[in-house]
Amino acid sequence: MAGQTDMKLIKNGVRLDGRKPDELREVKIVAGVLDNADGSCYLEWGNNKVYAGVFGPMECHPRHKQKADRAIVQARYTMAPFSVNDRKRPGYDRRSTEISYIASQAFERVVMVEEFPKASIRVDMQVVEAHAGTRCAAITAASVALADAGIPMRDMIPACASGKVNDVVVLDLNKEEDNYGQADLPLAIIPSTGEVVLLQLDGHLTPDEFEQAMDLATSGCMDLYEKMRNALDNRYGGSA
Amino acid sequence: MSEESSNKSNSESARKLVLPGDLVETKSKPGKGIFRKDGRIYSSVLGHAHDKSGYINVNAITGRYKPKTGDKIVAICAETGPSIWRMDIGSAFNSTLHHSESSWKVPFGDTARFLAIGDAIWAEVFMVDAAGSHQISLKKDDCRKLYSGTIVKIDPTNVPRVIGKQGSMITTIRENTQTRIQIGQNGYIWIDGKGEDIALAQKAIETINQEATSKGLTKKIEKLLEK
Amino acid sequence: MSNDHVSNLMKGHMETLATEGKRADGRGINEYREVKIEIGMLNTAEGSAMVHLGKTKVLCGIKMLIGRPYGDSPKSGTMMTSTELAPLADQSFDPGPPREQSIELSRVVDRGIRESRMIDFEGLCIEEGEKVWTVFIDLHILDNNGNLFDCCTLAAAAALSNAKIPNVQHGVADKDVDLPVNCWPISCTFGKLGDSVILDPTSEEEGVMSARFTVAHDENGNLRAAQKGMNGAFTDSEIREAVKTARTSDNVLREALKGIQ
Repeated sequence: MAGQTDMKLIKNGVRLDGRKPDELREVKIVAGVLDNADGSCYLEWGNNKVYAGVFGPMECHPRHKQKADRAIVQARYTMAPFSVNDRKRPGYDRRSTEISYIASQAFERVVMVEEFPKASIRVDMQVVEAHAGTRCAAITAASVALADAGIPMRDMIPACASGKVNDVVVLDLNKEEDNYGQADLPLAIIPSTGEVVLLQLDGHLTPDEFEQAMDLATSGCMDLYEKMRNALDNRYGGSA
Repeated sequence: MSEESSNKSNSESARKLVLPGDLVETKSKPGKGIFRKDGRIYSSVLGHAHDKSGYINVNAITGRYKPKTGDKIVAICAETGPSIWRMDIGSAFNSTLHHSESSWKVPFGDTARFLAIGDAIWAEVFMVDAAGSHQISLKKDDCRKLYSGTIVKIDPTNVPRVIGKQGSMITTIRENTQTRIQIGQNGYIWIDGKGEDIALAQKAIETINQEATSKGLTKKIEKLLEK
Repeated sequence: MSNDHVSNLMKGHMETLATEGKRADGRGINEYREVKIEIGMLNTAEGSAMVHLGKTKVLCGIKMLIGRPYGDSPKSGTMMTSTELAPLADQSFDPGPPREQSIELSRVVDRGIRESRMIDFEGLCIEEGEKVWTVFIDLHILDNNGNLFDCCTLAAAAALSNAKIPNVQHGVADKDVDLPVNCWPISCTFGKLGDSVILDPTSEEEGVMSARFTVAHDENGNLRAAQKGMNGAFTDSEIREAVKTARTSDNVLREALKGIQ
């Protein structure tokens, strides 16, 4: 959040990419795109492109990470070197480590980990093209991949960000809004209960704006949830 | 949230796809593939709900093999211990075959002489405990070590498709390819016969696995086998 | 499907079939799986390609940055190849820093591209001795079903062929131009299965084969790079025969590459 409010990001209630403040970018979700993984998903969100793949439940390695009474979720978020304009060094950095960690914890809230003592469920999220909002895209894709892998869960978790640009609370920041906007609030929820399983915030929001941003991100999550259902229905609905 | 969750309900059609977290309307007792919350029943997996003989189950249509007592399976030796074998059966954890559950007299430490890593058997799941560990046995019915043929792996959830209605699909494959086939509930399938015939049967089974949800599968398989 | 435990029965079956010139998936021993190449799907990369070789799936992105030339070649651009064995591609791919397997793969692909002079490195000089373009070839393995070597080389070649030099972004010139590409290296990988040699092994075949041999040819049928891998061995005549086979079998891959131009 550079917070350079002098940059005109909204004109007459319309954003630079033509969206209204409460409008999502276009989202396309396809379940079951990889052969090897137990479950997988490809997701395009605006120009963001993400693959998610799930293996498990399986024996947890290394052994010292095993939990005697439940499974652990090992989520890993990575950005490909070519996913951004300036080439990113391959591999793990502090940002992806943090996102991986909070995503693992979010998934452990919905995955019925108690059914698989000592096991591990490996969730891999690969961002191959990034234009702001990749952690939300990755978590949404991973939720679909978890369902596609047949992992028992209490629900699927959609994730979506809201934020503030030119003093207006908006849904789903694009690249420019992310770079020059005033706040970014990624949120992941459990649709059936409304519980919040992931929330981050950076920037500047008044208490009123925060309430507004929460409402907007929640409604974005619910829209995404429908798209996630449709993706799984497209893959499995035709059977039986 | 109440509006959203109400359109997730699955009241009438038993064949409708249900997803994790979907409310399942029922008066039946909870079975598998579900969880209870606030006195109501929800699906925990992606599958189809079946309300039968007083129990509500959601049968998963994807996922790894979950061992059930009495299942006949194909198992591959993954590890040997002094008195046990650890067997890959495609589930989350390897299964244990204790030497006393084989028909061999195994001297302590000599397990690999009877069943080495990579060797396959036709076996039965005889014990699954609450913590999820399981044991298999070679002592039941036609259980035995497999000495010839090959093994094909498919999704365990597609096993009913390979078998077909009253075994129609598998009979078609057997008759057209002149092979012996035994289908493990774990999705590991043993095929024996002439090399070329095995390859054709394998192709048919893999096609069913790939296109399990598509229509006109029986016709397609019959055509494939004509060649 | 995980192939962690390939049964001895499968091994025997595949070896028997191979002695009859056949494969478990119905192919002949010198036949490639179906090849599909898509290009230009990534906006953030200077060039990109997705290659499907049977069920193996590799995504390649090309990035170009300005760097210094090596002292012994002041007029030449440079290149670097990396592969990411993404954990979602295979249960056996561990998260973490690159292992030997990934580094060997990167280096074999790198040699095929470099030694064939596919890229006109002299054309990448901006200022002699000071500024040249560095080409980063990043290969992302998304689905491993065997023969990553050929799939990666193909993906790298396809992505390079549609790469544009980002002159505008880096203030070098006022127009982006095509990366100068001279020729098309193609690698062919063989596996030793029992006493037979098979082309384009699947991961099941890789699980039971004892040795691997990769050879890269240029368009004129000359050898440019080769690598023998795994702890088995080939006979002298098997190697010579494989090199001959590669020259005819790589046509399907060349045709697939021509299809995208």
